[in-house]
Amino acid sequence: MTAVLEARDIVIKKGGRRILSVDHLAVEPGEVLAIIGPNGAGKSTLLTVLACLDLPTSGAVFFHGRRVTRANALAVRRRLAVVFQEPLLLDTTVLENAAIGLKLRGRRREAEAKARAWLARFGVGHLAAQQALTLSGGEAQRVSLARAFALEPEVLLLDEPFASVDVIARAGLIQEFKSILSSTGTTAVLVTHDFREVSALATRVAVLFDGTVQAEGPPEAIAAHPRWGALADPRTASGAGSGGCGWH
Amino acid sequence: MKKYLIFALCVLATAALFGCTPKAQPQSNSPTEESSSKEPVPPVSAPAGNKDVILATTTSTQDSGLLDVLIPLFEQKTGYRVKTVAVGTGQALAMGERGEADVLLVHAPEAEKKVVVSGAAINRRLVMHNDFIIVGPKEDPAKIKGSRSTVEAFQKIAKAKALFISRGDDSGTNKKELELWKAAQIEPKGSWYQESGTGMGQTLTIASEKGGYTLTDRATYLALKKNLSLVILLEGDKSLLNVYHVMQVNPEKFPRVNAAGGKAFADFMVDPETQKVIASFGKDKFGEPLFFPDAGKPDIY
Amino acid sequence: MDLVVQGLVKAFRLLLSGDPEVLEITLLTLRVSGLATLISLFLGVPLGLYLAVARFRGRELVVGAVNTGMGLPPTVVGLWVSILLWRNGPLGMLGLMYTPTAIVIAQAVIALPVVTGLTMAAVQQLSPKLRLQVLALGASPLQFWWIILREVRFGILAAVMAGLGSVISEVGASMAVGGNVRGYTRVLTTAIVLEVSKGNFDMALALGFVLMVLTYSITYALTIVQQRRRRW
Repeated sequence: MTAVLEARDIVIKKGGRRILSVDHLAVEPGEVLAIIGPNGAGKSTLLTVLACLDLPTSGAVFFHGRRVTRANALAVRRRLAVVFQEPLLLDTTVLENAAIGLKLRGRRREAEAKARAWLARFGVGHLAAQQALTLSGGEAQRVSLARAFALEPEVLLLDEPFASVDVIARAGLIQEFKSILSSTGTTAVLVTHDFREVSALATRVAVLFDGTVQAEGPPEAIAAHPRWGALADPRTASGAGSGGCGWH
Repeated sequence: MKKYLIFALCVLATAALFGCTPKAQPQSNSPTEESSSKEPVPPVSAPAGNKDVILATTTSTQDSGLLDVLIPLFEQKTGYRVKTVAVGTGQALAMGERGEADVLLVHAPEAEKKVVVSGAAINRRLVMHNDFIIVGPKEDPAKIKGSRSTVEAFQKIAKAKALFISRGDDSGTNKKELELWKAAQIEPKGSWYQESGTGMGQTLTIASEKGGYTLTDRATYLALKKNLSLVILLEGDKSLLNVYHVMQVNPEKFPRVNAAGGKAFADFMVDPETQKVIASFGKDKFGEPLFFPDAGKPDIY
Repeated sequence: MDLVVQGLVKAFRLLLSGDPEVLEITLLTLRVSGLATLISLFLGVPLGLYLAVARFRGRELVVGAVNTGMGLPPTVVGLWVSILLWRNGPLGMLGLMYTPTAIVIAQAVIALPVVTGLTMAAVQQLSPKLRLQVLALGASPLQFWWIILREVRFGILAAVMAGLGSVISEVGASMAVGGNVRGYTRVLTTAIVLEVSKGNFDMALALGFVLMVLTYSITYALTIVQQRRRRW
């Protein structure tokens, strides 16, 4: 089985400094790959590259075995969806926000019906007519998730999607998200620093440290690992990796 | 949401277009009814070639209202459109020297001669004069009233260090004033001598507000008199004559000059009919004429 | 004080009687300044969007120039445009000096940095991650710019108001390149200057009143749109 999304020999340099160097990382169909690691490990940069929002300095990302180039990046992006930590909603109605992705793809006719359906599934259907900027943080992030699912992406990429949702609402949202994810069978890449999200959602984990993938495996294996296991323990997580790399 | 943006653009576009529609031929209806009824001259068909004549002139001819009477008359007669650029004499002459105007109507004889000598202007002809006057506060702190000459009056002002407002803008009036200081052998300097750097109207207003003396042409003073607390303190001295000449900008030196248009306007200014209009201008409003026609008289200036 | 009253009375009389010359001057003012603002929008909005997002060598120099340009004295613009448009200047063959077109050009130059600068500022207030999110939603380059434009529409509205306000009230450039030719290039501000120097203070006040009413009504219409979405 070929990977849906695959990174090969990726190097990213910024200002002459090498900040990411990933020899190989593949996302198989149907899996939920969690990328964990301390702040500054390059997780968000890696996600940006996987989402085809940025081309690597060298190496390449392959989508269904085809190399992603500047020329075909847009076409690939239109088969993916990304949810960031902030909801990043546009200054328009909730419905329009959820429908925008399909409209950009020229699928105007189905856009609003799909948007409504997904808003309802994330429990924010009643807010459809409201202006997006009047929503609370939790509501906004639900809209952001609905917006991504409305695209029915082949890979859903998420960068700390629950971090800006307050703790009380978070657990509920993660459970809802999990059931939607498994019922749709969506392939997903989840960048997070919270191992509880990893154990709840991920089928596989990649540990990113100092810009390179240090370990890959099922969540339980990583949790049991003598070095990376510390990442899974909320009490010691802040001391993980070589000393001083704090996480939040 | 885009409807907001579109609405905003519409407001602007309407503003722009609305202004556009009723704007037909700008000058077609501009000659006053008076002039067309007085003179049953049929409008001459538009002259071939360039219709626009650029007249560089001094603010005094415009501010006094004389041009508002003469220009429609000229346009009606000839079909030209005059673009009047009313600036200080210094700038008007500079426009001539650079070939940026077609015809000049100015009042600084010495400076005019230089422009003619340089070859930038030709066919300099005497048009009219009015006179300069010295105005100041009624109290006349320097006691210049009754002076026998302008030179004497200027010396008194300098001696008393009474406030004097100069235009300081290189205009014809300013040049005249500086000539007079020179004749009085005084170098105007010090806190009593202030340069306004503005036109005649503004300078008069400043002098009035500050209670200072100033040199002005009679026309502007009469036109503004109702707003000023200034009185005439010296007039009639020969050195105070303000003489206007018309000159054509030399088309041989500046090929882009509208030679025919410039000549037409210069000829119009010295035309006997025009001279009659000049002679009567201002009588109805001020009880006395503002300008005295001089065309054809020996040019001693 | 009675001068103010006189001015207001005269202004009302002028407005009610529909004095043809005042009407013509007012319409010309609207046409010239409206057109100049439109031109500055078509150039300044894309430029502002680009400057806000682009990274290139010397960008700071350009941004600095734009910010300086926002306070550019109209008289200086008038002088530069004059030098270009004079008969014997580089663009003299176009014969634009002392025409309404010349005023439009000068005013567009004045409004351009205002529109560019405010558009740029509006874009820079957006979250930098929004750029990635919009691309991630599958926007083509054109769709990307359209969405960003929509996001900053109220900022652009402010730019329109500031741009229009800066040109409709300027006198230096209009005087220099238009020449205040009666019935042709005389706009409200140059007419006011002339009436002041003629000593017709009441007329000047009346024209000033017309100018203020005009500016206020346009700005008011735009403000209504802008404030409809206030969140504070």
